[in-house]
Amino acid sequence: MTEKFTVYLVDDDPGVLKALSRLLRAKGHDVKPYSSPQVFLEEHDVAVPGCVVLDVSMPGLDGLEIQRVLTAASGYHRPVVFVTGKGDIPTSVRAMKAGAIDFLTKPVKDKDLFEAVSRAEARDAESRRLHSELESMQAKVSNLTPREREVLTHVVAGRLNKQIAGDLGTVEKTIKVHRSRMMEKLGIRMVADLVRMAEKLNLSK
Amino acid sequence: MLLFLFGAESRAAEPRRVLMLHAFNYAFPSTTLIADGARRRLLERSPQPLEIDADFLDLARNTDAEYQSRIAMFLRAKYEKRPPDMVITLGSLALPFILRYRDDIAPKAPVVFTSVSPQNYSALRLPADVTGIISEFDLDKTLALAERLQPEASRLFVIAGSGEVDRRWQSAARKTIEDRKRKFEVTYLFERSYANLVEEVSKLPRDSIVLLLTVFADSEGNAFVPAHVAGSLSAVSSAPLYAPYDTYIGNGIVGGFVETFESVGVRAADMALQILAGKDPATIAPQTNPGQAYRVDHRAMVRWKLQASKLPTDTAVLFKEPTIWTEYRGPVNAAILIVALQSLIVGALLVQRQRRLRAENLLKESEERMTFAAAAANIGLWQFDRHRNELWATEHSRAMFGIARDAPLTRDAFLSAVHPDDLQTATQSLRRSLATEQPAIGDVRIVLPGEEVRWVRMRARSRSESGGRLDHLGGIFIDITEQKSAEAEVALQRLEVEHLMRVSVLGELSGSIAHEINQPLTAILSNAQAALHLLAQESPDVVEIRDALEEIVHEDNRAGEVIHRLRGLLKKGERKAEYVNINDLVRSTVSLLNSELIGRDINVRLDLESGESLARGDSVQLQQVLLNLVMNAMDAMASTPMAQRFILISTREAQTGMVDVLVKDRGHGIRPKENGHVFEPFYTTKDHGLGLGLTLCSTIIQAHQGRLTLVNDEGGGAIAVFSLPIQQPAIGNA
Repeated sequence: MTEKFTVYLVDDDPGVLKALSRLLRAKGHDVKPYSSPQVFLEEHDVAVPGCVVLDVSMPGLDGLEIQRVLTAASGYHRPVVFVTGKGDIPTSVRAMKAGAIDFLTKPVKDKDLFEAVSRAEARDAESRRLHSELESMQAKVSNLTPREREVLTHVVAGRLNKQIAGDLGTVEKTIKVHRSRMMEKLGIRMVADLVRMAEKLNLSK
Repeated sequence: MLLFLFGAESRAAEPRRVLMLHAFNYAFPSTTLIADGARRRLLERSPQPLEIDADFLDLARNTDAEYQSRIAMFLRAKYEKRPPDMVITLGSLALPFILRYRDDIAPKAPVVFTSVSPQNYSALRLPADVTGIISEFDLDKTLALAERLQPEASRLFVIAGSGEVDRRWQSAARKTIEDRKRKFEVTYLFERSYANLVEEVSKLPRDSIVLLLTVFADSEGNAFVPAHVAGSLSAVSSAPLYAPYDTYIGNGIVGGFVETFESVGVRAADMALQILAGKDPATIAPQTNPGQAYRVDHRAMVRWKLQASKLPTDTAVLFKEPTIWTEYRGPVNAAILIVALQSLIVGALLVQRQRRLRAENLLKESEERMTFAAAAANIGLWQFDRHRNELWATEHSRAMFGIARDAPLTRDAFLSAVHPDDLQTATQSLRRSLATEQPAIGDVRIVLPGEEVRWVRMRARSRSESGGRLDHLGGIFIDITEQKSAEAEVALQRLEVEHLMRVSVLGELSGSIAHEINQPLTAILSNAQAALHLLAQESPDVVEIRDALEEIVHEDNRAGEVIHRLRGLLKKGERKAEYVNINDLVRSTVSLLNSELIGRDINVRLDLESGESLARGDSVQLQQVLLNLVMNAMDAMASTPMAQRFILISTREAQTGMVDVLVKDRGHGIRPKENGHVFEPFYTTKDHGLGLGLTLCSTIIQAHQGRLTLVNDEGGGAIAVFSLPIQQPAIGNA
């Protein structure tokens, strides 16, 4: 989280690549330019916050292809801004459906580019924050005992302590103890929060 | 002996004199004919020179005795110095005269007489040195002839005059007629005036026989030539006339049993010659009627409708063409032959003339036709004799060169019409044809008086008149203005089509080309905006701003280049001849196609010859060819899996002096059914193709002295190759 937001720039045209890099740097962005999509994919680090500015049509791998490869490889939605010389509708629709931030037509206006990049930055920060939240919660969940995980599942499912005790073949008092320890470990006081968390972590089942 | 010899010599040297003594004057045919016959015979047969004199006693007209002595005195005086050696008498009256006056005129000269009747001969008692021809006029046989020809005739008219001879005939005739067996109703027309005779004769019955004797004089004392009287009476007579005189035949009478006077002359001459040769006249007996015969005039026979079949067998028919034929067969044959030959020659000449005329006409017609055809075809014909500096040309040539009608046709007149820039072409082609016998061709422009310019092709061929130097030039002028303009039109149209093809290719590529321009524009905009942002900062990074600006310049150039290339391809223009770097051509073409290739996921590899080969030609057209070939390669791979889409463009100097450009793809290749058709115009396998791409490419490459081929690659796909000759520019010219 300490690393600076980086704009990954991929365009096979060296002139365009240089110019866009210069523009983004002038705005204060960290830019990593790549003229080859293959090299970009090899060097790309998901851990580094940032976004990708992709040229749609490039020899070998085109932008949409790279977008697909990126997502499939990390399971993480790296925000992508497309720039293209020929902004045809089918291509732009496909790109947007695949989660693109924007689809810009060359020549790119600085305002549009900056706006797209800052949106990508926000999206990246957001998803990165969500991602770390989930990670810490997952770590708390993993500290629970198997009995406490069982109780968690039943509580999230909306069962009363008495019902849970019946289901698990124990007494209500024991369930109460597990429940309060579980809530304490997870740092959650209200059931509603617990339910939301379980949803995020896909623990309802 | 000597004296005799001398005498013989002198006698031989001196001509012998013969005197022809005519009883009448020169106008009497009978005596004249005898004299002519005798003279001819004498001159013809005489071994010695003869001097022939003639005198006309004219005794018919002058009957008094004094006249005879006067004429005798005259003749004596005349022949005193040169007495005749021989006397021939002509006409019966001449003999008594010479016998009386012989001692005065021609003493001791022997006499040969003619035309003496038997009655006279016996009455005269002639001396021994007198001999001659006795003429018996056979009235009986003449009458017999008339009877044969006119068996129906019952009346007989007998005509005789009032002269001495005439009266002798009167009695002779009466006696003969009375002696004849056959009896006629006879009318004697004796002692009549001439006018009365004419009148009587003109009203005779048609079936009468007229016997004409002699009329030396009429009852009024007028003298006549009997032969003339025969002619006059025949002309008016209404019945046929007969007579015992040869001289009458031919003057209108039918004929008779007659003595031919010429033959009398000939016989008399023969006698005279014998005597002159030394024969004693006493030993030469007189002859009687040596040449008597039946003679008729064919024309009179025809006039009186008398039948020739009734004539005695030995009758001589005169004045009849066959008779002439019979008599003069040789000369007539020769004449006919000559006439025939002449006719033949004349005919041949006529035929020849006809032929010549026809040939001339044909020639004229042929020439007219040729001239007309040549003019119609807009062709002028000409010939030039360099030796004599003479020029012949058809009138059409004059029109073609705009030479005024009255101006002379000369070499200079033609050359002055030629456009100054083409004058050298004209003279060179003429000179070239004079140098060899090969025909020379030169196309020149002619400036007509109205400043109109026309193209004329001159074809010239030389020949030598006598196997010597080539002095004669001949040839044609053809107006090829239309051809030239058609050629220009075709060239223009080809350029137009090429241009259209380029435009259509570029249309196909428009998206990709727009991208090619869009890229630098993008870079320019971004650089510019980056610079602006940098300037807005508190401490602007000047180095970065300069970099940005430099980049803008660079990218702008890049965009400019694309547009330049595009403009070249879009431009219409004449074919240029410049040095073209083949590798550059490949690179610039591929860069133009860059976006398109990316868009179609096609990999391109270049494999270029290291030694930057130069060809000479039009770079735009060559780029068009390459563009077309690469586009075809791209189209061919539409259904090739993406991973395999690949184009290899290579340049190489496979053979010396030639550079090859290969475009290899991994498409479907040339299908068997397309084989052999790919270069045909309007043959296409594409949905939207015109079918002109390869046709045009081939034309362009051929125009660059190159060759374009299209083959299948063994490993799949097709290979298009074009070869161009390498042209190294001269040093310092590159």
